[in-house]
Amino acid sequence: MSEQFTPNNPLPQEAKLPAEIASFSPAVEAEIDAHLAKYPVKRSAILPLMFIVQRERGYLDPPGVAYLADRLGVRITDIWEVATFYSMINTKPVGKYHVQICRTLSCKIMGAGKITEHCAKRLGIKPGETTEDGMFSLSEVECLGSCGTAPMMQIGFDYHENLSAEKVDEILDSCSRGEYRYSMKS
Amino acid sequence: MSTELIKVTINGKEFQVAKGARLIDVCREQGFNIPSFCYYADLALQASCRMCLVRIEKMPKLQTSCTITCTDGMVVTTESEEIEKAQRAMVEFLLANHPLDCPICDRGGECELQEMAFDWGNLEERFTERKNAQPEKYLSPIVANDPQRCILCKRCTRVCDEWMGEDAIEAGGRGANTVIGTFGGWLNCSECGNCIEVCPTGTLLDATYRHQARPWELQQTVTTCTYCSDGCQESVGSRAGEVMRVVARDRYVNGHNGEFLCIKGRFAHTFINDETRLRTPMIRYKKGGKLIPATWDEAVKFATRGLDKAAEAHGANSIAVVGSPRLTNESLYALKKFATELVGTENYTATDAFSLSPFFQNLGGQIATHRDIRHAKTIVLIGGEPEELQPFAGKQIRQAVRNGGAKLVIINSTPIRLKERATQFLHINPETEDAAVLAIFNQAHNELAARKMGVQETELIELRRTITNTEGDVVIMFGGEVSAEAQSLLAQMPYLFNKEGRRALLHPLPLYNNSVGATDMGLMYGKLGATEMLDAAGDSVHAMYVAGSFLPQHLTGREDSLGKLDFLVVQELFETETTRFADVVFPAASFAEADGTFTNSGGLVQRVRQTIPPVNQSKQDWVITAQLSKELGVDFGFQMSASAVFGEIAERIPAYAGLRYPLLKDETNPVQVKHATIEQRDLSQESEAIRARVEKMSDTATKINATPPVGHELFKIGTLTDKLPQMHLLASGNPKPPTLAVSPLYQITVDAGMKREAIGGD
Repeated sequence: MSEQFTPNNPLPQEAKLPAEIASFSPAVEAEIDAHLAKYPVKRSAILPLMFIVQRERGYLDPPGVAYLADRLGVRITDIWEVATFYSMINTKPVGKYHVQICRTLSCKIMGAGKITEHCAKRLGIKPGETTEDGMFSLSEVECLGSCGTAPMMQIGFDYHENLSAEKVDEILDSCSRGEYRYSMKS
Repeated sequence: MSTELIKVTINGKEFQVAKGARLIDVCREQGFNIPSFCYYADLALQASCRMCLVRIEKMPKLQTSCTITCTDGMVVTTESEEIEKAQRAMVEFLLANHPLDCPICDRGGECELQEMAFDWGNLEERFTERKNAQPEKYLSPIVANDPQRCILCKRCTRVCDEWMGEDAIEAGGRGANTVIGTFGGWLNCSECGNCIEVCPTGTLLDATYRHQARPWELQQTVTTCTYCSDGCQESVGSRAGEVMRVVARDRYVNGHNGEFLCIKGRFAHTFINDETRLRTPMIRYKKGGKLIPATWDEAVKFATRGLDKAAEAHGANSIAVVGSPRLTNESLYALKKFATELVGTENYTATDAFSLSPFFQNLGGQIATHRDIRHAKTIVLIGGEPEELQPFAGKQIRQAVRNGGAKLVIINSTPIRLKERATQFLHINPETEDAAVLAIFNQAHNELAARKMGVQETELIELRRTITNTEGDVVIMFGGEVSAEAQSLLAQMPYLFNKEGRRALLHPLPLYNNSVGATDMGLMYGKLGATEMLDAAGDSVHAMYVAGSFLPQHLTGREDSLGKLDFLVVQELFETETTRFADVVFPAASFAEADGTFTNSGGLVQRVRQTIPPVNQSKQDWVITAQLSKELGVDFGFQMSASAVFGEIAERIPAYAGLRYPLLKDETNPVQVKHATIEQRDLSQESEAIRARVEKMSDTATKINATPPVGHELFKIGTLTDKLPQMHLLASGNPKPPTLAVSPLYQITVDAGMKREAIGGD
């Protein structure tokens, strides 16, 4: 679980969820229906649907969870279970640029730890946090399948490979200046 | 599992075992101790704890015996250096993050991990890294959670899913950061506490028993639950005359319910030692006056004088004797004997929500025990809401469908939660359950019934086909919605559906722990029912002797009826609406202070054992009755022993013939009473009565479409559950407290604004 519970900071979500989202726009609903149609069992579509809700709402918020549970015919706890398992699903709001640094073996050997440290220092946040201006979120994720080009990170769905501190600075600078363009559509 | 036998060699010895048996079960049956955490019989396999490793010849690595099905010629080793090394390594891993502070943990002393660490743990810990420490918290008013103690066996998540069908608790996160929890950190479930029961460590704990006692200080007494008709076996832990907790842990008790209990059975036991329990007998010397404490002798004399006077003035039939379906068979039998043999009145009854007497009078087949439900092939549920009112029956149905592949047909006017598991759900109009019974009994009425129930005729045809295509047991269950005539029809259904290879079994769903016993003891066959008796108060009934209290549903609209009586004797645990008018009140002993038996809805007669001495000056109900009769000049000769009463029951009541307490000693082999069955008889009169009533039903009724929330019946506040403070939080909508680190009891004050509707009564 990403959030650590402390007495003064109870978990943000409410167990009783508002049924805020009745439905998304017709285009998105059609997309969801298309995914649902692909599987013999409805709940198999949980991951694609999570990505859609996350894309539409920025992160998987409590109403989004309630919506998913309703669409998939499962309980909110099941959604929570899956959502907290995957680092790609955000259960908290993330910044405009979500910097995800791979921390699995190959990248770790090739210095991912240093890259993370560098980013953390530069952005002034720890992994799992978001900058105050809401521009950047930093997180460590599991293997993204790009071991040959380690260390690597992902911003949105874009891969940035063979990283060094300078290269990271360059990318983050372009983000800060607002010049960064996604090459991959989510 | 088939009956075919195969040969398996374990540790050099050959055994004949049933084909398809699970290796871990076979090894344990043969006396080879295989440790395990995650394996739990009848739950989905997990194989995550890796403790049950064995060596099987021709298999490359050590195998988890919990996932292996025995095959012919299998050669297994369960003990070797290699296996022990692997198991010791596993315990070392489990203890890497588990705090070693057993003395402060509530589970200490009865913890499976602790025991396993004694057997398989190493003396020294090699890990020097920091433990993954997390603070303790509350997951609900009932469930306390200490996440760092978790070993991720996931028994709790499986139990929640498979037994309760609620999926309220799940494993979140990933890898080393996996925690057992729930969305938003707050459990909104039926709070059965089964996750606490099956937890092999101190991760999930009973919040009502938090830091109250240590298990080795408690005297564990095996007894039967006092709430619903399932008759779950439980172990009551008491210390110095105080009940501290109730568990079903299989080290203490091994009844037909296994480790299953519901919120009421497990937690709502605080009424036993509640300070509002009646302390002494009390007498109201003057109508409208106060109840004044008195001695037992004085109160008994006063009560008998009052009853005598009423009998002299208005005759024996002016005295009514009323029992409660919560009392033991012994107490109910004593009351019946008091009514018929001493007073000689025709007016006796028990304050049950509905009477099962037509069912037992027409019984044409066997009663299904809960075990039969679990292994049934088809279950037909007419009315009722077992997951709220008889939670164990609900669990058996769920498991029969999920693990046994049974077909479940639900006929209900409310889309109850169990419908998720149903093969077929007949969503009928409110109060048309009788029409369903009529149609099942005789297909000729299909058209009429379907129209009145608001379903398609084809649905009824499909329902009948499901029954007639069944190979194995068909269990027909019904709730209190069906009328007396419909009960007779249901009782005779085995004659319609029994055939070679198929048994039709019946299972009524009464509301109270001894509803069936009250019928068996003959109390339900009196001239008047509970409400009729209240209506007759002051008219043909002038004095009443009540053990227990009238239910709110009896008293609504008749609040003052009891005031019209000349004389009212009540024996109760608490002051209630019934004692308000009593002339004499005797303090009665609760189930924890009494010896006796309860008969559950499956016809199992099970022991109730005295856990603590009677609280205050209370006495067991049958002792009070015997004392009254002695004062009236008739000695029942029970000699202060419940077993003597039961002996007389066994002599006089055919269904209980031959039974004695020693035969009921073993809760693992419960005894079913032999209810007399009658020959198939002509029921045209009854079906005609039902048909006439069904025809008068509306064609255009509106259906109930909302599924009732979890706990709408379970969390209702009654006289007994009222004494558990946590129950009030749950009944008030289970609000999430500001902080989860402190018990919600200290944070939330229940006020009128929070109360859910439909509170009251039980």
